[in-house]
Amino acid sequence: MSVRYRVRWSKEGRTRFVSARDQSSIWERAIRRADLPIAYSEGFTPHARVSFPDALPVGVASTGEYAELTFAAPIRADDDLARLSATLPEGMDILTYTEVPAGAPKLASLLRATLWELVWPPVDTTALTTLLGRRCATMLAATSHEVVRHRHDGDRTLDVRPAVVSLAVATGPTPDGAGARTTLRAVLRNDAPTIRPADLLVALCDGEVASPALVRRVAQGVPTADGLVEALGGELEMVRTDVVVEAA
Amino acid sequence: MLGAVTDVRSDALLPARAQRSVHRGGLGAPTPPSVLDVLEPLLPEVRKPAQYVGGEHNMVTRDWAAADVRWLLCYPDTYEVGQPNQGIQILYEILNGRATTLAERSYAPWLDLEERMRERGIPTFSLEHHLPLWAFDVFAVTLPHELGHTNLLNLLDLGGVPHRSALRDEADPIVLVGGHAAFNPEPLAPFIDAAVMGDGEEVVLEIDDVVRAAKRDGLTRAELLRALADVEGVYVPALYEPRYTDDGRLSRTVPVATGLPTLVPKRTVQDLEEWPYPQRQIVPMTETVHERFSVEIFRGCTRGCRFCQAGMITRPVRERRPETVQRLVEQGVADTGFEEVGLLSLSSADHSAIGPIARALGDTYEGTVTSLSLPSTRVDAFNVTLSNELTRNGRRSGLTFAPEAGSERMRAVINKMVSEEDLLRTAQVAYSQGWRHIKLYFMVGLPTETDEDVAAIAELGIAVYRIARTHGKANKVTLSVGGFVPKPHTPFQWAAQDTPEELQRKLALIRQLIRTHDGIKLRTNDPEEGVIEGLLARGDRRVAAAVERAWQLGARFDGWHEVPTLDLWRRAMDETGVELAWYSQRERDEDEVLPWDHLDSGLEKGWLWEDWQDARTAVQLDDCRWSPCYDCGVCPGLDLVHDTGYQPGALLPVMPSAPAGLGGPAAGSLPTSAERYAAGSTRGVTR
Repeated sequence: MSVRYRVRWSKEGRTRFVSARDQSSIWERAIRRADLPIAYSEGFTPHARVSFPDALPVGVASTGEYAELTFAAPIRADDDLARLSATLPEGMDILTYTEVPAGAPKLASLLRATLWELVWPPVDTTALTTLLGRRCATMLAATSHEVVRHRHDGDRTLDVRPAVVSLAVATGPTPDGAGARTTLRAVLRNDAPTIRPADLLVALCDGEVASPALVRRVAQGVPTADGLVEALGGELEMVRTDVVVEAA
Repeated sequence: MLGAVTDVRSDALLPARAQRSVHRGGLGAPTPPSVLDVLEPLLPEVRKPAQYVGGEHNMVTRDWAAADVRWLLCYPDTYEVGQPNQGIQILYEILNGRATTLAERSYAPWLDLEERMRERGIPTFSLEHHLPLWAFDVFAVTLPHELGHTNLLNLLDLGGVPHRSALRDEADPIVLVGGHAAFNPEPLAPFIDAAVMGDGEEVVLEIDDVVRAAKRDGLTRAELLRALADVEGVYVPALYEPRYTDDGRLSRTVPVATGLPTLVPKRTVQDLEEWPYPQRQIVPMTETVHERFSVEIFRGCTRGCRFCQAGMITRPVRERRPETVQRLVEQGVADTGFEEVGLLSLSSADHSAIGPIARALGDTYEGTVTSLSLPSTRVDAFNVTLSNELTRNGRRSGLTFAPEAGSERMRAVINKMVSEEDLLRTAQVAYSQGWRHIKLYFMVGLPTETDEDVAAIAELGIAVYRIARTHGKANKVTLSVGGFVPKPHTPFQWAAQDTPEELQRKLALIRQLIRTHDGIKLRTNDPEEGVIEGLLARGDRRVAAAVERAWQLGARFDGWHEVPTLDLWRRAMDETGVELAWYSQRERDEDEVLPWDHLDSGLEKGWLWEDWQDARTAVQLDDCRWSPCYDCGVCPGLDLVHDTGYQPGALLPVMPSAPAGLGGPAAGSLPTSAERYAAGSTRGVTR
């Protein structure tokens, strides 16, 4: 009798440089170390039944990764998934889980939007927050905003605006409290064509602003007017954080 | 541009030499600066960034301040190639098992990252804490072959350490090399502080003791090197001097200080059971060339293949007990989560209890996704039987055999004792038992080789292909043909190496002969690839000038197709007066002093010469595991009984005689190698 679980997990620190391709074998080996009764696919080369709804760009941090695991036998989820979390590499942790009832909607259908966070180094913070705040306001007021995405297989024009649900720019303290840095948070729809933070930045400030020091996928779920409802836990994640200093 | 960090170069990571020594202190020394913060922003721009972050399962992280001797273990190639290396993993576990010793790992950054590191002043770093090379006490580099030499120089330079040992002082790490290429370290002599020959398990602890004492007693660098030279198996090139005759030949390499051995011996671990490592193997977070849990089931090989340096310098054979192999595999699979298990050695099917080992592991993992594999050089039906046992779950795709040469005469020259009849019978057995694809390994450019011998490779391939077709139209044969490179400490150390042009001609001959057979695939290496390897393998200390110049001209990753460096090397040889033909394409005579004659692999030079004469007259020599001792010179002085598994009183269990079965329970027990060779024959199992 197989049972399915969905987990929300993080990919922080060093593990954010792991590619989507390598991620599967990391999970499969961790599951074997935790001695969990994972189900295997049929065929010449059986694979553990662990699926990930979408790939995160290499280098991006996340507290909003998800996975679906199918076990061949019942597990004691609290203990067993804690053991799995402990044996995953440092930076990868299982944050929440839910058992999947028969007939539940597909995981991908619950992940309709993503809350992204982009953090800059503590350089030119006041000017940066002001510029980004102004551009965000302009974008939110418009109905379309096209950008060209350059790829090895050719250029492609995309309209970024339909994917944008909400945007917020703020100046907050650096982790050591000694300086100030700019943070941009954005809720973007996951529907095709997928708009990534890199596309959003091109639309907002192409060539005028340096790359952020860190990009993080905070959570995924169902978008609301001012944030999103996280897919597994159901908490409301606000696009504006309480340290917001409203931009002009 | 808003938000841009403009001062990209950080001097903190490569401080002036005077500021470094504080981090080199004993217990309580402050941790040197980590490169991680400066490195991380670069990683999204480079290929395969996960290779630079560490953080793997079973990585060991110890406090800098809690250690008084700190090692950086290095494989001088990419993480992808170097991470699976067993030598590094063994030493990592042994050194980190000491109370106040710390060992971290380092690999060569790919060209894209190196460029960015140089721009920003980021030194060669460790994966555990991203600490700079210059802060460690010992930089220990394994050289499994000669194509990492330029990378070694580059890693030193990138790490803020002078690449010439004479320019290093107390502020710099001791630079050690080990591994097979350390048996002729002369082309690296000006760059390394010491070469360690042979098994590393024991000697690494003795070196650790010497370094600890030197730090405690405040020894100068020269005093420390002299102390290291007193450790058995450690060769300090600066304390030896090569002398040349008027015609440019070597006359002798002599110690230049008193009390040094004229012949530096290699180290041999006598009982592998005392060193059951590596147990807690690193589980990589990104793709590597071998992703499996590996257990070395024995060390050494006495088959006596005359081209094989590994088989000559790792003698004698020392086996691990079957129950230890079983325990290491079971613990290792549970601990790492690897799906594949590799039973490693130079020819794993020769373990005296390989049948029982394979059967027990087959039983343990039957019905699971865990798969087993072993490298084997044997060409006989037993190899098929064994492979069947290891693939009970039914994945019988490809099987590899290494006849190494095409004609019977040529195989007698290289002492690869297999007849064409055996090989064809083996192919017959394999294809009839469901194997779809046979890969055959050969070499061209072997001593005494004629075009007839080369053509015999194609003919053998065609004969095997005919057998393949009778068992299935889609069955395949691959011929993999490499160019032979003569290596030190082998009977072929006196032989001339073929030029790349000659190798090219021989490969074309094979290609021409098989052209009408679509099911035969020919895989070859670029013959030019063996040129650098051959020069460095048998080079003397004068070749070091070419190594240094080639590196300065930009040579790195000499073993990679993506990085063609041969033109740089040719220029470097020109500029430094190193004549390739003299080093590589010249046959040596009996009286010639060789650059590694003062380094003792255990083999008597007289015996090697005799074996070379036997080779030239196609006289074969049996494996001493199942025939009388032929006095190669290795065993005297070692306190061990040569493991053969069938002598009275031998440690290992001998299975009752039984025919070689197909695996499953009905087939009975697999024979031990002793039974297969009981008559002194190497003809394998016939039924």
